[in-house]
Amino acid sequence: MIEVRNISKSFGKVRAVHNLSFKVDTGEVFGLLGPNGAGKTTALRILGTLLRADSGEATVAGHSVSREPERVRRIIGVVNGGMGLYDRLTGREVLHYFGRLYGMKRAAVNARIGELDNLLTLGDALTRRVGDFSTGMKQKIVIARAVLHDPPVIFFDEATSGLDVMARRAVLDVVREYPNRGRAVIYSTHVMSEADELCDRAAVLYRGHLIAEEGIDVLKDRTGADSLEQAFFRLVEESEPVTKGEAA
Amino acid sequence: MRSPIIVHLARKEILSTLRDRRAIFSNLIIPLVMLPAIMTGLPLAVGGLFEREQETVTELGIVGLANLPEELRAIISAQNVTLVEVADPEMVVREGDYPAALAVPGDFVTHLASGRPATIRVYSKQGNLASELNASKIMAAVQVYRQQLVATTLTEAGLDLTVLEPILVDTVDASSSAELASGQLAWLIPFFIALWTLIGGQMAAIDATAGEKERGTLEALLVAPVRRSEIVVGKFLATLTFGLTAATMAIAGYVLGGVLIRSLFLPRLGEQAGEIVDVLGGSLSIDLGTVLLLLVSALLLTSLIAALLIGVTLFARSFKEAQSYVAPLSFLLIIPAIGLQFKDLLDLGSGVYAVPVFNALVLMDDIVKGAVTFGSVLVTWLSLAAATTALLLFAYGNFRREGVIFRT
Repeated sequence: MIEVRNISKSFGKVRAVHNLSFKVDTGEVFGLLGPNGAGKTTALRILGTLLRADSGEATVAGHSVSREPERVRRIIGVVNGGMGLYDRLTGREVLHYFGRLYGMKRAAVNARIGELDNLLTLGDALTRRVGDFSTGMKQKIVIARAVLHDPPVIFFDEATSGLDVMARRAVLDVVREYPNRGRAVIYSTHVMSEADELCDRAAVLYRGHLIAEEGIDVLKDRTGADSLEQAFFRLVEESEPVTKGEAA
Repeated sequence: MRSPIIVHLARKEILSTLRDRRAIFSNLIIPLVMLPAIMTGLPLAVGGLFEREQETVTELGIVGLANLPEELRAIISAQNVTLVEVADPEMVVREGDYPAALAVPGDFVTHLASGRPATIRVYSKQGNLASELNASKIMAAVQVYRQQLVATTLTEAGLDLTVLEPILVDTVDASSSAELASGQLAWLIPFFIALWTLIGGQMAAIDATAGEKERGTLEALLVAPVRRSEIVVGKFLATLTFGLTAATMAIAGYVLGGVLIRSLFLPRLGEQAGEIVDVLGGSLSIDLGTVLLLLVSALLLTSLIAALLIGVTLFARSFKEAQSYVAPLSFLLIIPAIGLQFKDLLDLGSGVYAVPVFNALVLMDDIVKGAVTFGSVLVTWLSLAAATTALLLFAYGNFRREGVIFRT
């Protein structure tokens, strides 16, 4: 479903992503793991057609992100922790606005909003203005907006950042449920417990480098770690001589 | 580009901005109220102040009241002035006890009788309107008395008064009726229209660009299957709508101000206040054709400013930062507007109609004064349209630049 081949991206002298490659299959939750500044967001922005890779190529459902950006945008949904909403619109107005941008008819948007209300318990968030929402309620509408057009691919980038325990659980439930519908998910996070709970496989990024790409259990076994977090630190330690030399 | 998507994008921006009460206030109410308030309030206030000052009986200081001829004293009293004896005329004016004072020397009458020049000293504060106005009452009275003395002397010598004015000058104002009616401050009209396009458009523009960044909504919009060109045009149309609304309200306010002055206030004003109204452009009268020319010119100027606002504010990371970028843009209008006051002294030539922004101000000034030509309209409109297109391309380029979109 998603294929990334040797993509690199620099911002001035800072090399954000270096020669990154990985694949994600349908029905899979793929973790993109690493600390802040590892290159996770840059990689997802390239996949989301917001940034152009300096080199390499990536495809989503067979469409090139660099040559067919509009086609790619039609089949992806993006949720990130920093995403906001239009404070002066109601939740329903936000969803109708984006639904139309995705080419959906008014009736289709209304039907989909009904489904998402059941899934995410949107409640009165649909009729109230976003400016009055709690952070958790905003994030529910952000998720609803991202999956409104029922995309086959969805990216979550630090999606639980700043959320309370209830809102965080709601996000994780959506992520867990999504691949059951024959979709592909990339879940980017620096919270290893979340990745341990949700992901089938993961790519570990550190200083823009891919330092591992395997199943979660394999990663733990290979490093002899009890937890994914412990495995992550061991992988970072092993990669230090390589990544330090090439880090900006 | 898909026009339904562009309209959809623009509608969202308009709805979102309309729900901000500040936008309603700055786009609709202020421009509609401000021009009539200035056009009617300022002339009325200034005219009323002068009239009140003229009519009020004022006490002025004097040294040597006994030396003042009875005839001159009567003329001064007729100016609504009461003279009060003081010890030091300069001191009482300086201290603000009296707005003006005069000193009449002991030999005043003797000098007059002997045909030698006699001196009256008038004390006032230069730059103080009340003081100068009262001093002018004294000088007007002295002038009247002087003319009486001259007339008496000439008559006694068997001469006619016309001997003093062997040459008469008759001036004829060749201005058109529109120029006559537009007054000396008519340049304020295009200035207000231009200024309100900037003020009216800036909230929508900032909300649609830097506001999207600050809220974190821009990324969501950019990952939707919408072309950058559609986003630019949608945001441009929303900004244009608000800028044009504010400009239209300013024109409506201007028309309303003219109606108010002519039908309600002008007939009730005194002659002097009526003259002040004329100087300020209070007798302006514009027909439908003039309004249409003003509207099209304002539309094109608003388009240019809307495109500029979208292109510039996208650089900002926040609403506040964007406001700091927009503030200097007002100089783009203020400086040409200042130049517009001196238009008649500058040898501008027809090339001025090719200079964007300034051309719109000059053209609108021409329209208000009824001095517009087909050539100047054509060149100005084409120039504004070309500049708007260039600025839209600039904005489009910015929407494609990663460094601008993800500037944090």
